[in-house]
Amino acid sequence: MTTGDPAVSVDSIMSQLQDRVRARLREELLQHGASPALEDPRVFADVERVLRDATSRTAARALLLPELLGDPATWRLEPALAISSHRGALAASVIRGMKQRVLMPVLRWLFEYSHDNFVRQQRVNQVLFACVQELAIENAELRRDLAALRK
Amino acid sequence: MKLACVVHRYGADIAGGSEAHCRQLAERLAAHHEVTVLTTCAKDYVTWANAYPPGRSRVNGVDVVRFPVRRPRRLKVFADLTDEVFDSRAPTERQEAWFRENGPETPALLDHLRAHGAEYELLLFWSYRYYTAYFGLPIVAGRSVLVPTAEEDPAIGLDVLEDYFKKPAGFLFLTPEEEELVSRRAGTRLAPAAVIGAGLDPMPEPHEASAEPPAARRSDSSIPDPYLLYLGRVDRNKGCHTLFEYFEQHLSEGGLDTTLVLAGPAKMPIPVHPRITALGFVDDALRDALLGGARALVVPSPYESLSLALLEGWNHSVPAIVNGDCAVLAGQVRRANGGLSYRSAREFSAALDWLLAHDREAHVIGSQGRAYVDREYRWPTVMSRVDALLAEVCRRSR
Repeated sequence: MTTGDPAVSVDSIMSQLQDRVRARLREELLQHGASPALEDPRVFADVERVLRDATSRTAARALLLPELLGDPATWRLEPALAISSHRGALAASVIRGMKQRVLMPVLRWLFEYSHDNFVRQQRVNQVLFACVQELAIENAELRRDLAALRK
Repeated sequence: MKLACVVHRYGADIAGGSEAHCRQLAERLAAHHEVTVLTTCAKDYVTWANAYPPGRSRVNGVDVVRFPVRRPRRLKVFADLTDEVFDSRAPTERQEAWFRENGPETPALLDHLRAHGAEYELLLFWSYRYYTAYFGLPIVAGRSVLVPTAEEDPAIGLDVLEDYFKKPAGFLFLTPEEEELVSRRAGTRLAPAAVIGAGLDPMPEPHEASAEPPAARRSDSSIPDPYLLYLGRVDRNKGCHTLFEYFEQHLSEGGLDTTLVLAGPAKMPIPVHPRITALGFVDDALRDALLGGARALVVPSPYESLSLALLEGWNHSVPAIVNGDCAVLAGQVRRANGGLSYRSAREFSAALDWLLAHDREAHVIGSQGRAYVDREYRWPTVMSRVDALLAEVCRRSR
């Protein structure tokens, strides 16, 4: 067996399997009331491509929207719990100690449950930011192409 | 050459991927070079608690110098810092604090590098994410070779890495995808560099090893045929929770009947299901027997710099089913023509059904994987790449 002439081509099998999965998924979405635009397999494939590209570009530093949203304190999820107190130095250190050593162990299960959900929500937000960015890019490119055609 | 291998943990009983990679390379380099391993006293990768005595020892023919860890990892502080630096543009000092908290914090090792680093011709550092490599490498940057073991996880996005990845005098990568990832982060082509992977010893051909069919060879482990095998730590970080979900969905939605066999220590709850069998830690003989009879090996990990389990499966001519969202796994499978990849539950089920229903073709795919290992991952091939890279770095640094 040589690499140049494989007896079984994985790429070809993968392509067939993905086509089959995509066709079944499209049928199911339509059965459940998705837009009739998806009846066209080519439209479906394009939509899937755009969304898949977006989900692979969700790194926080690769996104434009967070830069435009302004003060992060008004929109950014903060999964980490910062234990603090607004009182004076001595009272604050006692209160922080109480919170850390007494309250946190008791509420650990609730904190971890909330933390996990915050992390998931944060991921969904970044995916949505990336989707909007991808669609905005497609839109900008289409506008540019349209403008060129009009000239 | 007088070489130092710097790694966060070291020992024959340490199972971690990068640690094992370092040990295997150090032992083979020691055949032709004067090798000293500089490491910590830690054994546990979560707490970094000191377990080995500090000072000099000899492990499998290699000189080892251990330095004590200053303090165990503060898990809560580390978790909070991780949240802080991974989801925002944290300042440099907070990012560096993350590397310090990640540990193992071993200032005595850094002192040794400052005092004696010049005595080594080259120093090889494993895993950029740990204190030993992150803070140690810049001290001897001009004679350093980094084995980044980088994965496409949030840590690779930290800003401070752009400068850090420009410091090493040479790189040893595990896959072309890792080289591409690190080069992208550095913003430049990194040279000199070599993609070396990891070495494996050949297994006897299945039919040379035994005339018995695979099912008979594993009969003592009472696993029903057919089965899908998972090798390694059963852990959320390895994508096992998603594997369980996809596998149960596969069976409940009418996929072909099969059993999922898990061979490795469990670090998370395993669903109670008649078609999921968890064997816990298995010895080498049972591991080989399981690989000998598996219809496919599944690698669900979202982050990998190189999957040794995947190579091991191919070494036994077992076809693979891998997480296609992991660029390294998808790339390895494509180059080897040795398995199928999935990006959703539906694709997982379709790939599994296909391999179960196409016995002959599945066997050919497994053999193609083995041919790839023969071509790329035998020790003589790996070591010739390592030696060539070290010679090149040494020549340039003079």
